[in-house]
Amino acid sequence: MKRFSAPRAHAAPPWWFTAPAMLLFAFVVLIPSARGVYYAFTDWDGLDPDFAFIGLDNFTAMADDPDALQAIWHTLLIAVAITVLQNGLGLLLALGVNTAIKSRNLLRVLLFAPAVVAQIVTAYLWRNLLGPDGAVNSLLAGLGLDSWQQNWLGDPDLALWMIVLVVVWQYAGYSMVIFIAGLQSIPKEFHEAAAIDGTGPVRRFWSVTRPLLAPALTINVMLSVIGGLKLFDQVYGMTGGGPGHATDTISTLIYKDAFTLGEFGYSIALAAVLTVIVAAISASQYTVLNRNEKAAS
Amino acid sequence: MSPDGLSHQEKIMRKALAAVAAASLLAACSSGTDSHSGSSGDNQTLTIASIDQGSIEKVVDAFKAANPGVTVNLTTSGADQYQQQIRTQLSSGTAPDVMTVWPGNGNPGATYVLAKPGYLLDLSDQPWAAKLPDAFQKVAQYEGKTYNAVFGLNGIGAVYNDQAMTEAGLTAPGTWTDLLAFCKAAAGKGTPAFALGIQDNWVTQIALYALVATTVYSGDRDFDTRMAAGQATFAGSQWTTAMAKYQEMDAAGCFQKDPLGTGYEASQTLAATGKTLGIIQGNWIIGLLKQKNPSGTFTMKALPATDDTASFIMPAAAGAGYGVNAKAENRELALEFITFVMSPAGMKTFNEAQGSLPTLPGAGTTVDPGLAELTTFVEGNRTVPFMDQLWPNAKVQQTMLSGLQEVFSDQTGADQVLKDMDTDYKAGS
Repeated sequence: MKRFSAPRAHAAPPWWFTAPAMLLFAFVVLIPSARGVYYAFTDWDGLDPDFAFIGLDNFTAMADDPDALQAIWHTLLIAVAITVLQNGLGLLLALGVNTAIKSRNLLRVLLFAPAVVAQIVTAYLWRNLLGPDGAVNSLLAGLGLDSWQQNWLGDPDLALWMIVLVVVWQYAGYSMVIFIAGLQSIPKEFHEAAAIDGTGPVRRFWSVTRPLLAPALTINVMLSVIGGLKLFDQVYGMTGGGPGHATDTISTLIYKDAFTLGEFGYSIALAAVLTVIVAAISASQYTVLNRNEKAAS
Repeated sequence: MSPDGLSHQEKIMRKALAAVAAASLLAACSSGTDSHSGSSGDNQTLTIASIDQGSIEKVVDAFKAANPGVTVNLTTSGADQYQQQIRTQLSSGTAPDVMTVWPGNGNPGATYVLAKPGYLLDLSDQPWAAKLPDAFQKVAQYEGKTYNAVFGLNGIGAVYNDQAMTEAGLTAPGTWTDLLAFCKAAAGKGTPAFALGIQDNWVTQIALYALVATTVYSGDRDFDTRMAAGQATFAGSQWTTAMAKYQEMDAAGCFQKDPLGTGYEASQTLAATGKTLGIIQGNWIIGLLKQKNPSGTFTMKALPATDDTASFIMPAAAGAGYGVNAKAENRELALEFITFVMSPAGMKTFNEAQGSLPTLPGAGTTVDPGLAELTTFVEGNRTVPFMDQLWPNAKVQQTMLSGLQEVFSDQTGADQVLKDMDTDYKAGS
């Protein structure tokens, strides 16, 4: 028998239903970005209306620019460190405040609070706290741990990790909230059934909680990787990319090359490279995590 | 934490909030194509963007008092933030009517850099323009036209906190040998000689300039001309000596601990409150130190770089002045403000608040007694302009600034920094 149409409830809406949103996206995001990329192939200085098309020169110059290569390395390092630490800590916090402890609502609010403060404000706050005579060193001295005092932001070996810690401090609560939502969507019966089968808490976490938390993990890892790759405010506020270039990321270098040196063409070329890195990492990561998610469910 | 520290934090927070507000404003403005801001049609509002010198506020107040009914929207920021912000505003058509412009070339907010693409209004027909002494005209002009109202002469030297010096029982060193002994004695008393806030990278150059003036220029007054002609290099000149002396000062304990973790603002607090005996800075620091310690007195001396006192030279040059946006919404009022700044009354207010010397004769400025030595050096023609004012592009200076931070954190050597500066210098404009 010939089928005339699928049942109404299952029909996909016509593609042109998305047209208004797509047009808006194109005009606000796609077209301006594409027009911006054109400048990556010019020697525009950001001020002078006269500039020349120079082909791929900006991109080849990048390969010979130790500052750019170092910034790309710092960016990847920061993104990985933040992703691991922020989600690890966020998960532990979520498991902690998802128990029946009394003050759990207050704790959730307190742990989430740093995430609502503007990044530049926390950056300046920590720049003060981590200063040579700042609260952190004073606290160490008060505890008799003078030898632990450090030049936290002035030491090129430490500064990058201080930035990572501040970002983790600020956003672990954010990851926690997403994990809590994930935890609460796991039916209690699963845990009860597993408990009846005689599993301990570790086994229950590994075999019940972990696989069912996969969607929350996908979102969290994605958000922290993208946030880490684009990191600007905290670096700029805490160290300005210094000492020297020890904490420069692609974003801070883009900013400095454009606005301090007037090398807009080069800086837009850097921005294009950052975009490609973010897109490539996010896409491959999404594919992998999505596969895990499906396997787990 | 001390009450002082708390207010410092508050200030930083306030600045941070202002920066956030400015950033969102920029984002809002830059998205439009031909946006006309709503304030036009009102001839009584003037917008000014200035670097934070602790002195423009008084001039604005005096200007408002002289022009009743006028509203001034003033925004101030630190030098590195300002230079970045003003370029964005100029290229997106959202720049204020009047803005800080540095003399000469070599930094991203300098006269040559901003006048070349036509962003500044030609001020040559202003009555003061022709009266500027030659040395200032050279750096206030681009291709023979005046664009920069330079009102103050600034110098760099060692600024001592008089009360802290008395308490430590020490006197300002007169020679290089004395300086190293002074540093050791000061450090021994628990109050290091000089505050150094090189977490903000522009600060790194100041002490170096003070050393370069004597080591490079006392034996070679034509060094800049020879550099421009390709007959000299940084790495092959006395710049290497100056770099070595900068590091020797650090090794001798001339600076407080962790200069790379200390910002400009924090360094002011150290010097103002006597936690260090002084600071190597421009004379503009005196006004800022007095804000933090109103009862303190401060004296500027040439920083000894050799043992031959007769050879001492101080870096001194026209300080940052003001230019008018070529597309100013309120050109008339902008010109009135510039005229006021360059009038005897305006210049006197500015100089006295800032602690600078006037660029025009007859301003009647009462020079801060702490600047007597600078005045003597200026009058005796024993000064050289700030080194970057005659460099061909902004990159030389930026390479020097981040390079010096790397030298202080042992990431690179001084020779490498000078070689990198030579490379950038040769790249030209």
